[in-house]
Amino acid sequence: MGDRSVRGLGLVLAICYATFIVWLYITQPQTIAEVTGGLSSGVGAYRIDQQAFDDGLALFRQEQYAASRAAFERADPARRDARTQFYIAYSYYRSGWGRFYSDDEHFRLGLESVERAIALAPNGRLVVEDSGNYIHNADELRAELAAGLRSEPADLNPLRVFRQRK
Amino acid sequence: MTRATEAIFLPMLFLTVTLLGGLRVADRVTLVPPPLFALVLGLLLFGVLVRGRVIAPGYLMNASRSALENLNGLIVTLTTFFASTQIFNLVIPEFGLPFLLGNVFLFVLLLNTLAGSPDRISVLRSLGVIVGAAFILKFVVLAALADPAAGALKRVLLALLDGVTLGTLSQAPLHPATGYAAFATLLLFLVGIAMLPHSRPSAALVKLDE
Repeated sequence: MGDRSVRGLGLVLAICYATFIVWLYITQPQTIAEVTGGLSSGVGAYRIDQQAFDDGLALFRQEQYAASRAAFERADPARRDARTQFYIAYSYYRSGWGRFYSDDEHFRLGLESVERAIALAPNGRLVVEDSGNYIHNADELRAELAAGLRSEPADLNPLRVFRQRK
Repeated sequence: MTRATEAIFLPMLFLTVTLLGGLRVADRVTLVPPPLFALVLGLLLFGVLVRGRVIAPGYLMNASRSALENLNGLIVTLTTFFASTQIFNLVIPEFGLPFLLGNVFLFVLLLNTLAGSPDRISVLRSLGVIVGAAFILKFVVLAALADPAAGALKRVLLALLDGVTLGTLSQAPLHPATGYAAFATLLLFLVGIAMLPHSRPSAALVKLDE
């Protein structure tokens, strides 16, 4: 290999590696699937596992939220699909919601997922049209989850037991 | 130094150090960007490397080289600086009194080295001692103090120590993988620094009249 080829190759490799490092520091992926998913979505090649997503949706509609989350996680292992992340957040909301109190851990994880979904959606706007859902908008879901995590005087209102789960 | 070392091996090695320098493994993996003061320390260390002739920027970039060669030299120079910064990000404790004291101690130590006229071997030895000592302090001594699996007596003593130091001594517990990765990163860095193109002290041949 000639002198120019080696030097040119070194330059290209260094620039690509440096760009990859900056990307890793910004996105903070947790698994190899997130790294590969992030890279493939960067070039528009990322696809979710549609079969797993459909399974998750069916389980979600049967109110089997923990099982539906497992299917949604399998459908979108890289956490790069806004719609799937919305459903994961929604399942956390549903399983954490209680007539007397909400499960903070579920709501916290739900909030993380819906934040991710909003970040992934074009211009941060995500609307999921599904006749089986009460909540169609990611902003509304985020507000519900955030409200569930807040402690406020209205929590003591006994009429809260009559409120409806969304 | 061969062209492959300059163009490929050294940049890859220093970029790997840059990547691993911010790696922290706990309940989740995080990549911590360097604090501002690590940039200052990195710059000081780079100054020490130049002054101690461990790296020769004049060899890496000069008018007699082609544009591509100069670009390779620039990449080596920049990646050396980034790796130097990340090494401090790696070995300085995360917060509290150890963070403050570690920064001050390393700042003074590097300034002192910069003020002197060290030769290449002295700088390499000194660098090994500095980063080795900081590694032991953070990943052995302070990690042992923060170990959540310690016995009851140790926990009581640590609670007393925490009380005396107003909680400024204790650090977040580290996963053992962080320590092993840090050790490998330090070794990589020291190997890379030793491989840098260096200049020799200038000397003149003088013919004495009889």
